[in-house]
Amino acid sequence: MKTLTNRFERVKYIAVKNSIYLILGVIFIISSLLNENFLTVLNLRNVLRQISVITILAFGETLLIIAGMIDLSVGAVFAVAGILSITVFKITGSLLLALIVGILSGVVLNIISGMLVSYFKTPPFIATLALMTIARGFVLLITKGQNIYQIGRFVEFGQGSIGFIPTPVVFMFLMLIVTWYILNHTRLGRAIYAIGGNEEAAMASGIQVAKTKFIVYVINGAFVGLAGVLFMSRVNAGLPNAGIGFELEALTVAIIGGTSFSGGIGTAAGTLAGGFIVGLLNNIMNLVGVNSYVQQIIKGVIIALAVIFDMAAKNRRARPEE
Amino acid sequence: MSQEIPIIELHNISKKFPGVKALDNMTLSAREGEVHSICGENGAGKSTLMKIINGIYKPDSGEIKIGGEVAKINSPLDAKSYGIAMVYQECAYVPEMTVAESMFVGSLPLNRIGTVDWKYVYEHAQYLLDKEQMIKPSQLPHGIKTKLKDVSLATVQLLEITKAISKDAKIIIMDEPTSSLPNVETELLLEKIIELKKRGKCILYISHKMDEIFKISDTITIFRDGQHITTKPASDLNIDSVVSLMVGRELVNDYPKEKIQIGDIKLNVRDLHKKGVFKNINFNVKAGEIVGFAGLVGAGRTEVALALSGVDPYDDGVVEVDGHQVTIKNVPDSIRNNIAMVSEDRRKYGLVTVRNVRENMALPNLDKFIRNGHLHRKEEIDAVNEKCDSMRIKTPTIETVTKNLSGGNQQKVVLAKWLIRAGSIMILDEPTRGIDVGAKFEIYKLMVSMAKEGKAIVMISSEMPELLGMCDRLYVMHEGEIVKEFDRSEFSQEKIMHYAAGAHNFTRK
Amino acid sequence: MKKVLILMLAVLLISSSVVFAAGSSEQEDDVFKVAYIARAQGDSFASWLANSIQQEMDKYPDMEVDIMDGQASDEKVNSFIENSITNQYDLIILQPNNGEAQTPYVLQVVAAGIPIILTNPRIPDLMGTTYSVDADPYEQGAVNARYAVDLVPQNAKVVVLNGPAGNMHSTARELAWDKEFFAKRPDVTIVGEQIAHWNKDEAMSFMEDWVQANDKIDAVISMNDNMAAGALEVVKDNPKYDDLLVFGVDGTAEAALLIEEGRLTSTSFQNAYELAIKNAKLAHDILTGEVTDLVDTDIDCPLITKENVELLMDAHRATGAIQ
Repeated sequence: MKTLTNRFERVKYIAVKNSIYLILGVIFIISSLLNENFLTVLNLRNVLRQISVITILAFGETLLIIAGMIDLSVGAVFAVAGILSITVFKITGSLLLALIVGILSGVVLNIISGMLVSYFKTPPFIATLALMTIARGFVLLITKGQNIYQIGRFVEFGQGSIGFIPTPVVFMFLMLIVTWYILNHTRLGRAIYAIGGNEEAAMASGIQVAKTKFIVYVINGAFVGLAGVLFMSRVNAGLPNAGIGFELEALTVAIIGGTSFSGGIGTAAGTLAGGFIVGLLNNIMNLVGVNSYVQQIIKGVIIALAVIFDMAAKNRRARPEE
Repeated sequence: MSQEIPIIELHNISKKFPGVKALDNMTLSAREGEVHSICGENGAGKSTLMKIINGIYKPDSGEIKIGGEVAKINSPLDAKSYGIAMVYQECAYVPEMTVAESMFVGSLPLNRIGTVDWKYVYEHAQYLLDKEQMIKPSQLPHGIKTKLKDVSLATVQLLEITKAISKDAKIIIMDEPTSSLPNVETELLLEKIIELKKRGKCILYISHKMDEIFKISDTITIFRDGQHITTKPASDLNIDSVVSLMVGRELVNDYPKEKIQIGDIKLNVRDLHKKGVFKNINFNVKAGEIVGFAGLVGAGRTEVALALSGVDPYDDGVVEVDGHQVTIKNVPDSIRNNIAMVSEDRRKYGLVTVRNVRENMALPNLDKFIRNGHLHRKEEIDAVNEKCDSMRIKTPTIETVTKNLSGGNQQKVVLAKWLIRAGSIMILDEPTRGIDVGAKFEIYKLMVSMAKEGKAIVMISSEMPELLGMCDRLYVMHEGEIVKEFDRSEFSQEKIMHYAAGAHNFTRK
Repeated sequence: MKKVLILMLAVLLISSSVVFAAGSSEQEDDVFKVAYIARAQGDSFASWLANSIQQEMDKYPDMEVDIMDGQASDEKVNSFIENSITNQYDLIILQPNNGEAQTPYVLQVVAAGIPIILTNPRIPDLMGTTYSVDADPYEQGAVNARYAVDLVPQNAKVVVLNGPAGNMHSTARELAWDKEFFAKRPDVTIVGEQIAHWNKDEAMSFMEDWVQANDKIDAVISMNDNMAAGALEVVKDNPKYDDLLVFGVDGTAEAALLIEEGRLTSTSFQNAYELAIKNAKLAHDILTGEVTDLVDTDIDCPLITKENVELLMDAHRATGAIQ
């Protein structure tokens, strides 16, 4: 590989390429100065647990956005998956079966989105908006709008830990690895980047566009299903109206993490960093005791600044076209 | 004449981009009534300089004088107020817009009620079109209300030029205005430029086409690597001297054509048909042979290429590869049959410009690096590095995003991605469009070495000299049909043009 | 082919829904048609209420109810009101989503001569114009606050979980806590106060952070049971918080279980059944002419603590929410 000419350029290149992690670092340092309780193992463990569900959803959105698509049905599908999983657990008492059913529910529902987008050429925005309404209606229908309680050992997914690490966090890192592996070491990953970057060029290079889009929805479905199970388990209840607005939160995390809404750009690690940024912000503002109205304003401003900084850094890297 | 103040002067303009000194102490001046051509390889700094004049970039140092006075140009709007107009290489346009609207885009006139004064728009647009005479009425099927999506790219380009000259600009910058124009329209444009010159306009002209430059230029400035090499009257230069000044070395031969042993038929196409696009397409290409496709823009050559590569499949017909009949319904079909197509439209079908060199080059070749579903990075990197070296692709690293490469290097990346495959049939659609002389020459050499390896090559081009220089045989297409086949011994520019323009039909009628 | 398929599917869907609708409401002329417009079926209390209304109305052979889901949208609720006028229902029961937004539409109903009952909550400005059946949201907060005054230790540190800003129930409950508790206990300090939007998961995140930021928390004051349950979820295995006092409102099934376990200190019971029974009876009385004057009826909102939790458990056992 050819190397960049001088060391300064090289340092700058690396800094710019990793600007999102720098932002994360700055937030981390400022937070630890603001409150002495921030930099404790227990608190950081809390932050990890708090971001795990949203970050898992964001990994799914990351794959979709890179490929030039979107999923607005996340919140509703995630509720269906969680409720069905709890129902199966209550009937069978099997955690494994409950987990499988939860994940499969997400997959089955996303197959609908995948079919609409890949084979009926419905715009992803519309297809998943339709699925959002269908899924929410379905989950309210099967629960009659009532919460499910007394879910017993089901809480182990969301509240248990493996060693010292909370189970949802373990799942989050597993999904990070899955997403990273797909994007970097599989044909599917290359197809995802190529389709989002330039669908026609991808097609002309022999990439099967429709099939790829379909598969990405299926994978997203598995992530959403898993997240639903973890969420319901964490809150120790089956909440049919859970997850409203989660699609936007997951999108926010992915975008802060450097995923480009115009497609073709994004990484698994970036999305994790995005999850951390959102999680750390919420955490430090609660620790310090910022008023909840002010919190919303600060969060919005910091998100906008982070994205502006990231974009500016990336644009500066671009060379002139001749 | 020498006493006259130049209409535009650039003094010691420098501009640095991260890692690249794009312009270094650049100096240039031009007078009214002068066509001043600027020549240089891609990356020489021509477009950067033009963008500085047009206010898109700010120079790091140096000054611009317009009519002898220092001008502060911070935006294209400022440039406009100084009487500078620019016609871009690849113009962006809205397909749904009408011709009339496009003439007024950004400044639609309003009537008293504050809504758009359509009557004025249509009347005035028609007036401007009539006055400037750039576009023939036959090019606009629905007159002034024709939508841009229904006219050729060439017409859109001519509209851009009409717009610029109708604004009564004093200085007109034209950046590769003919790169997408067919010959007939190029001629028309060149005539117009000479007419504009007579009207006292100053024209800064950038083009890679040497014949055009010598047809219209009074003065030629040559750039190389961001530096000013020389400015001379056109009469003191010739094509060879300009080219050698541009590349900084003598180019011995225009076309590196070699005599190669021609083998068996690799690709045989019979009665290929696509409704409303092309019909009765019969041709073959043999191993080691370079076969050209001549024709006007819109003759259906690109569409045949898209059909054979599975991008936009044909309706019916027979395709044989190495004597076996094959069906091509999609791109994987064509890849499986060793057919590779390098599209004329690099940005549409060629590159995923937001991704890096490595990923672009690996894209059609992933099966080579994947075993048991795992993509082996090391092998990928090795293969890509090897091609970058052997094809002399200039990129900081293979991780560089392709949109940051020059046109010539982008084109090489597109070629390279199909060469990693070692496919035996290469369809090259306008392989040298919009790239500089040095890079063109390298692409020609690559074509020859591919032919030597026994590949069958189809070359579609709108540049007659390169077809004549490179091809062993040549088909001429006109309105979706192959109308004539020429052997190298029969090549003649006039005869080919005769068929391409459809003159044979005309005499029959 | 695809288009034909889609079209057929659409026709099938529409026709089947018509069949279902026809099946559920056999048209009989001597039966009173009642429209029940619910705020949102997605809200667990609202849907409990809607289910109870259906159940209670079914007990009257001469009344028949159609349940409509306002989906927490003023626009939806308002158009259901308009449609109900058009469809000439004999009586409308409305659970407003937002009093201000529904007022003009309620007045349209009154103008059309159709009796209307406002329930959970009533619109204060329209008392005397319509019938109403409700529990007093101030009182729901107040019973807990009065109970807490004597229970919360001296110089206690408390955290507060609020409902969505501008929500009438949340505001009234907050006001009750301010007047009945904080005004009387100036020694108490609030170490954290956040809006958790009635949600358990948001309340959990806040509580986790508060536990980190504070050495000690003596009490959690929550404007509903969901959020109270969220706070308890965080500290359930932490012996340091065994004595934590937690106050909710609503009387949900989860609250019943938590009080029985001795973890939730108190809640107030807003009994959807009782609301439904009163609504159905009032509707029947109006339609049969037994009630002619406009009346405003209140249900009780009893304080539920460990002593009387069986009352709450029984109510939820009846619905099947608790086994």
